[in-house]
This record gives sequence, C-alpha cells and structure tokens, in this order.
Amino acid sequence: MTQKIEDILDNCLERMFKGESVEDCVKTYPEQALELEPLLKASFVVIQESSAIQPSPEFKARGRSQLQGILYAKLAKAERARIPIWHRRWAVAMTTVLVIVLAGVGIAAASTNALPDEPLYPAKLATEQARLTLAFSGMGKAELHIQFAERRATEIAEMALQGRSDKIFVLTEQVTNHLGGVPMAEKAVKIEEGGQKALAPPPPVPAPAPSDEAEDYGEGRGGYAVELKAMLCDSRARSLNILQTTLAETPENLRPPLEQAIKDVTEDYDRIILILESGSG
Amino acid sequence: MSIEEDVVSRAIKGDGEAFAQLYEEHFDKIYRYVYLRLGGQAEAEDLTQEVFVKALEAIGSYRWRSLPFASWLFRIAHNQVIDYFRKQGKVGKVAWDNDITLADESDPSLAVEQKIEVEKVLDWVKKLSPAQCEVISLRFGVGLSVAEVAKALGKNAGTVKALQYNGIVALRKMMAGNR
Repeated sequence: MTQKIEDILDNCLERMFKGESVEDCVKTYPEQALELEPLLKASFVVIQESSAIQPSPEFKARGRSQLQGILYAKLAKAERARIPIWHRRWAVAMTTVLVIVLAGVGIAAASTNALPDEPLYPAKLATEQARLTLAFSGMGKAELHIQFAERRATEIAEMALQGRSDKIFVLTEQVTNHLGGVPMAEKAVKIEEGGQKALAPPPPVPAPAPSDEAEDYGEGRGGYAVELKAMLCDSRARSLNILQTTLAETPENLRPPLEQAIKDVTEDYDRIILILESGSG
Repeated sequence: MSIEEDVVSRAIKGDGEAFAQLYEEHFDKIYRYVYLRLGGQAEAEDLTQEVFVKALEAIGSYRWRSLPFASWLFRIAHNQVIDYFRKQGKVGKVAWDNDITLADESDPSLAVEQKIEVEKVLDWVKKLSPAQCEVISLRFGVGLSVAEVAKALGKNAGTVKALQYNGIVALRKMMAGNR
C-alpha cells in the first residue's frame, strides 16, 4: 500500500524535529524525493527562523510575577471558602462586638480625667451611670455613689481654679445627688440581707458581735452601715481637703462660689452620715 | 504517572510551584505561537499573558485523560487568538511590527540579518489561509505533534496533515518566488 505524500512529509518532519537532516529523510523515500526535498527545505527554514522568536526576559518575569499575584489571591480566596459561612459570620460579629467594646473601654479610660466642657466629659458621666446600673449589689452602688461624689468635688476645685463659677453650682448639685443615693443603696442592702436570711438555713451557732463583722455585709446586723459611714467619713475628709486647699489658692474675687460649694458639700456629707447613723443605730 | 502528569495534578490542587513549572515549560512556545499568528510583539505579549491567566483560572476543570496538557493550553491560546481577530475585524487588521526579540542578540549585525529573515518568514506565514497558518504555527513554531495539534484545534489528524502539506507547498512557492 502506497503512503500518501501528507503522511510521508509528516514522518520526515518528525524525524527532522528529532535532529535528522533533510538529506537523510529524503533518502528513505527515493520515489518522492523530487517533491519531498524542496518541501522539507522550506519547512526547515520556517522551523529555524521561528525558533529564533523569543519573549523578552523582562516580559517573562513581569508575567510570572503577575501570575503569582493572581495565584496567591486565588489561594487566599480558597482558604476563606474553607471556613464555614456561619463561622465567618460569627467571627465578623464577634470582631464587631470586640471593636465596640474596646472602643468603649478606650473612651471610658480616656474620659476618666475629663473635666466639664471637655469633649469626653459626657462619656465620663455615661460610664459612671453604666457602672451604677451594672453594680450587682446595693453596697456596690453605695460605694460608687461615694466615689462619684468625691470626683465631682475634685471637679469643683478644678472649675474654681479656672474661674468657672457657673459649673461649680451644677457640680455641687451632682455631689448632693450622688450622696443622696447612698441611703437608697443602703436600703437595698437591707432588702438583700433580709432575702438571704429567708433563703438560708438557720445558723447553727449565734452570730458574733457586729464589731467583728464589719466586712460581712450579709450576716452582720448593721455592719454594712458602719462600713458605709466609714467610707463616707473618709470621702468627706478627702473632698473637703481638696476644696479647702483650692480655696486658699483661688483669687479673692473668685472665692464666694467655692465657699458656698464647700458649705453645701459639707452639709450634704454630714446629713448622709447622720441618716446612716440613725438608720443603723 | 509521568513527571508532567504529576506536575499538572499538583497545579490543579493549587500548588503554585507546579504552576510556575508549567509556565516556564510552555511560556516560550505559547508566545511563539501567538507571535506567529498575530505578528506584533505588544499584542503577542498581552495575549500570551492572558492565556496563562485563563489557564490559571480554569486549571481546576482540566482533566488529563480527555486532552494532553499542551493541547489544552494551546486550545486556550487558539481561542484567545480567534477572539482577538474577531475584535480586530471590527477595528482593522493587525500591523506586523519589526520589533522582534530574538533568542540570541549578542552579535548586533547578525541579529539584524536574522530579524530580516524572521520577518520574511512571518510575512509568508501570514499569507497562508488561517487554518494552514494555525497548523504551521503549532507544528513549526511550537513543535506540537500532529496528534496534539489535532486535539488542540478539534480536528482529525488527517485534516491536520493535509493542512500542513498544503501550507508547506504554499510556503515553498512563496520562497521560490522571493529568489
């Protein structure tokens, strides 16, 4: 069976690709040599010249780096896809909550020393209010009220030094409000104590003397009131010390509002201490 | 499993190193094929890069048994070239440029001479019918076998051999006319 010229040509080309010469290939097909030889020579020219075409090394390197970028992006996408969607949503939600909480904590921390009229002062008051709301016990609330009353007293001193008498009046009212919250918190402590007593089994031994139980608010009769009174007395001493010291440093013309504030704050502390004494006595 | 099969299967699984190996192995051939088909360096560079980007995007769907990897890659290149010509058809023919990058340009005078020869060959290849040009580019420019060309172009081996023969006859005539 005679081979078609297309097949013979292809056979010779394959041999040429492997390194055989045109002459060697032609020798294999003497009958087709006349037609085959010029075709193989033409093919050889095309093969030889087209093999000289090469991409520039810069372009090749650029292409490689572009593909690497695409590949990394593809791998990162695949990695993300491996995490279940609920897991990703949960992670996003938790991250959002964390960011809000951290931002809140940051603002709260930054606002601790803020003074009235400063941008972070409302955040300071809001943080205080939140702490009061979240306080677990009546005793905790009472402690916070005392702490915040003292803060306002310190702010009164700062405002007096700046000549801001308008702020002194408002702050003094806030001292009154916070101190007024102490007896209310004390009542809550009494209720808590009553509830715990109702739920608890009868004690096997008689309760020790109140003086030995100042720290034990739930068990001792009036122990919490003694503790609160002590805290109030300490706070009164610190607040008045700051205010009196500031009064000595304040110019004569700016003293009257501060003097009035000292008078009011002193009266407030004394009134609340008296209430606690009468309530626990 | 052959070495190439192993590299391809690793590339399918997302192994960047394996894909880089395939890139190195086939890049020059794809470029040469695209250059022979288009004739412009800038166009050839853009299109070659597009071929590999497409290959990277689609490699997950490649199945070894249905098509040799080189044929699969050249099928992508072929489709890119067809798309390019389709778009060019609306705006005009591609102009062949003289800015050919040669494999060896160490001797400037030889390089100039070779560039002239290459341009001549490119000019002759361009004058072939599109189907002949396709086959000649893949066979002589890239070195694919008739079976691989047939699979890349979706033609049977007999047709490819016939196109190859007719293409070479046409080239021979053009070369004879040039002397």
